[in-house]
Amino acid sequence: MYQPGDELRYVDWKIVGRNDRLYVKQFEEETNLRAMVVCDASRSMAWTGAPDTVLPKLAYAQRLIAALSLVLLRQRDATGLITFDDDVRSVLPPRARLSHWRQLIGTLAALEAGRGTAAEPALQRVVGQLRRRGLVVFVSDLLLDRPITMKALRFLRHRGHQVLVLHVMDPAEVTLAGPAEARFEDPETRAAVVLRPRDWAGAYRDVVRSVVGEWRLGCRRHGIAYHRVTTDTPYGMVLREALAPSSRAV
Amino acid sequence: MISFLHPWVLLGLSTAAIPLLVHLLARREPPTVIFPAVRYLVTTTEQHQRRLKLQHWLLLLVRTLLLLALVLAAAGPTIPRSGVTGHSPGALVLVVDNSPSSGLVVDGIVRLTALREAARQALARATPDDRLWLITADGIPRRGDRRTLEGELASLAPSPRRLDLGGAIGLAGEVLAAERRPGEIMVLSDLQASAVSPAEVTAPLVLGRPDDPPPRNVGIGRLETGTQPWPSDGGRITILAVGDSGITVPVDARLGARPARQALVRVGGGATITLSGAPSGWWPLSATLPPDELRVDDGRVGVVRIAPLARVDWEAGERFITAAAEVLEANHRLVRGTDVTIGRLAPGLSIVLPPADPAAVGAQNRALAARGIGWSYGEIDIEPGATDSGAIIRPVRVMRRYRLQARGSGRTGVLATVKRQPWLVRSGDVLLLGSRLDPEWTDLPVSAGFMPFMDVLLNRLARGELALIDAAPGDPVALPDLVTAVRQNDREWRVEGGGSFRPADLGIYYLLAGADTVGAIAVNVDSRESLLARATDAQLRKLWPGARVVDLGQAGAAAFSSAARGDLRGPLLWMALLLGLAELALASLVRRQRS
Repeated sequence: MYQPGDELRYVDWKIVGRNDRLYVKQFEEETNLRAMVVCDASRSMAWTGAPDTVLPKLAYAQRLIAALSLVLLRQRDATGLITFDDDVRSVLPPRARLSHWRQLIGTLAALEAGRGTAAEPALQRVVGQLRRRGLVVFVSDLLLDRPITMKALRFLRHRGHQVLVLHVMDPAEVTLAGPAEARFEDPETRAAVVLRPRDWAGAYRDVVRSVVGEWRLGCRRHGIAYHRVTTDTPYGMVLREALAPSSRAV
Repeated sequence: MISFLHPWVLLGLSTAAIPLLVHLLARREPPTVIFPAVRYLVTTTEQHQRRLKLQHWLLLLVRTLLLLALVLAAAGPTIPRSGVTGHSPGALVLVVDNSPSSGLVVDGIVRLTALREAARQALARATPDDRLWLITADGIPRRGDRRTLEGELASLAPSPRRLDLGGAIGLAGEVLAAERRPGEIMVLSDLQASAVSPAEVTAPLVLGRPDDPPPRNVGIGRLETGTQPWPSDGGRITILAVGDSGITVPVDARLGARPARQALVRVGGGATITLSGAPSGWWPLSATLPPDELRVDDGRVGVVRIAPLARVDWEAGERFITAAAEVLEANHRLVRGTDVTIGRLAPGLSIVLPPADPAAVGAQNRALAARGIGWSYGEIDIEPGATDSGAIIRPVRVMRRYRLQARGSGRTGVLATVKRQPWLVRSGDVLLLGSRLDPEWTDLPVSAGFMPFMDVLLNRLARGELALIDAAPGDPVALPDLVTAVRQNDREWRVEGGGSFRPADLGIYYLLAGADTVGAIAVNVDSRESLLARATDAQLRKLWPGARVVDLGQAGAAAFSSAARGDLRGPLLWMALLLGLAELALASLVRRQRS
């Protein structure tokens, strides 16, 4: 039924002629999806708690994005890539050709960890790359300014994009361990804390759980899909969860 | 006031610093770990820092208090329980010092009376369930009920025997060790500084001492009669005065019932008095001071043997014997004659040395046997040894000696030994020496003791006089082999030669060998009893840690104070248990938070 404010060009005049009722035409878009993957390449992403057994977060993210983009491209969805650290590092516009995957892989392969983290410029660049509604996949360890990042994500959502946040965490970031007493230093900011991991493991676990909860809640509140991914999780499992319709529809 | 049964355990209080030291030692420069999620750690520490710090300090405090409580409990703290009139059943050992100094008269009252009264007051606090013991100067612990011990106290008089208070406390500790109930030692004494000695205090110790200062006292410490026997023209004596003041006092000396000779003697010094001669025999000697508050040390006795000088015949070929005899002759200690022969077997009194030629030993033994002597020379022993300590001779080296063999079943008349084997023996009127008086055989001829030895050998031993002994009451005196009886005035004790005799009273005891008097024991008060200066409380507490020193008038009321004192060990152990549980709970809480 027509509601005040609906555009008059979408009124179905034929039905008006037949039964004198105002109906508005609705169209289902059947064009292919345009997706933009935003990858965090800050220094914190280059870290792993167990170099012999677990990939660094950035390496894990590279492989995950490669797999994801292949899936999207095979569906003939145009897929692009933006990488960033404390600034935008590279922008690969979305293309639907399968051969575009090679460029995408090449960009990912050349990606090295940068310095700090600033996601907002990268997320703003997405707007220029996705003129129509599309899918934004944000892959990051989320060790960044949450209010600013959330604001940027909300803006994308406001523009009608589906937004999927993949929160990449190393297992060693989930459970605090280490020597009897250690000076823990942030590789990006050089901020340091001296403490005994055994004393603080429980409280740290609570804080991590709380932080993840806040991200999840904040994303859900604005219709943003959120998945926490640890780097020891098989890629297939992550993709299945992340690309499930229920997940993207959040 | 808190007192401790084992105060040395308090050294363990230093262990309370262990948790703090562990905490400080653990604070070293930690290794750096690169960790991206530091912001989470910052958030964590901001949220929990105060609580965790509080828990850690609480844990430190609880562990420190736990150690303190355990150490204090091990030290056995007690506190007086005010208002407690009774006491739990306990054991009390009363040490009443009735040594000679307890005969001190102050303001007309004998010191022992005050000690007895304090002891009675202590006994008055006893209940029928208490075990009571009494130790006096005789060193015998007597157990009894209150009435029995009060009877003992009533008959207690100043003893001539000295009481070593450290020994008495040790003895009391041994008595209490057999008791299952809590024990206590109470010493009632004038606490002379000369009577205290270290002792292990194994039970609460209360010391009751007079509150008035001791008077200055003078006593005779020693009475020396010089070399004996005296010749018939008399001899000289030396009197040494001891005491707490430096005054000079007159002293009388009397030989038997003869008129006294007087001299002045200064405390700490001596006076020499020449006494005129007397007929041969054993003469009692006495020295007396003017009476003062302590009478028992104002007199001292001794014994003088007066006899004509030995008339000695010696072999001119014996170099060292000849030299010694000539010196003694020059000093009027012997004259030439034939009463005593030294060096060979003669018809009269003989001192026989082994022959220089071993081939002559057989003839020597046959001659001794023909004379009816019960000893003979045996195998030669060339293993070096030394004479054993004795009244006759100090230890000297003996390189060669003949073993002296007793004939028959008896082994009597041994005067000196080497390695516990006879070296100088007497049989009848013959003395046998195991070694020749030559430096190749023994160091004696070239030692400082040779002249006194020769004097004693010729003037006393050869005549059958064996010993002049000074002793204190109760001291064991080793009797010479030949002694068969000990006599004092009308009393006589049959004894076995070589055994031990304990004179109980002051005075002179004569040693008898059959009908002959062969020696004497002069029994006098221990000279340390004359020193009345009292040990200070600090000295007492240092000697006997944990001791409570109270005035004699309050000593009775202090009896059973340990039983009436609150033992803090129980509460401290409960506190330690609670602290242990608190530590367990707190540590578990911290562990839970860690996991």
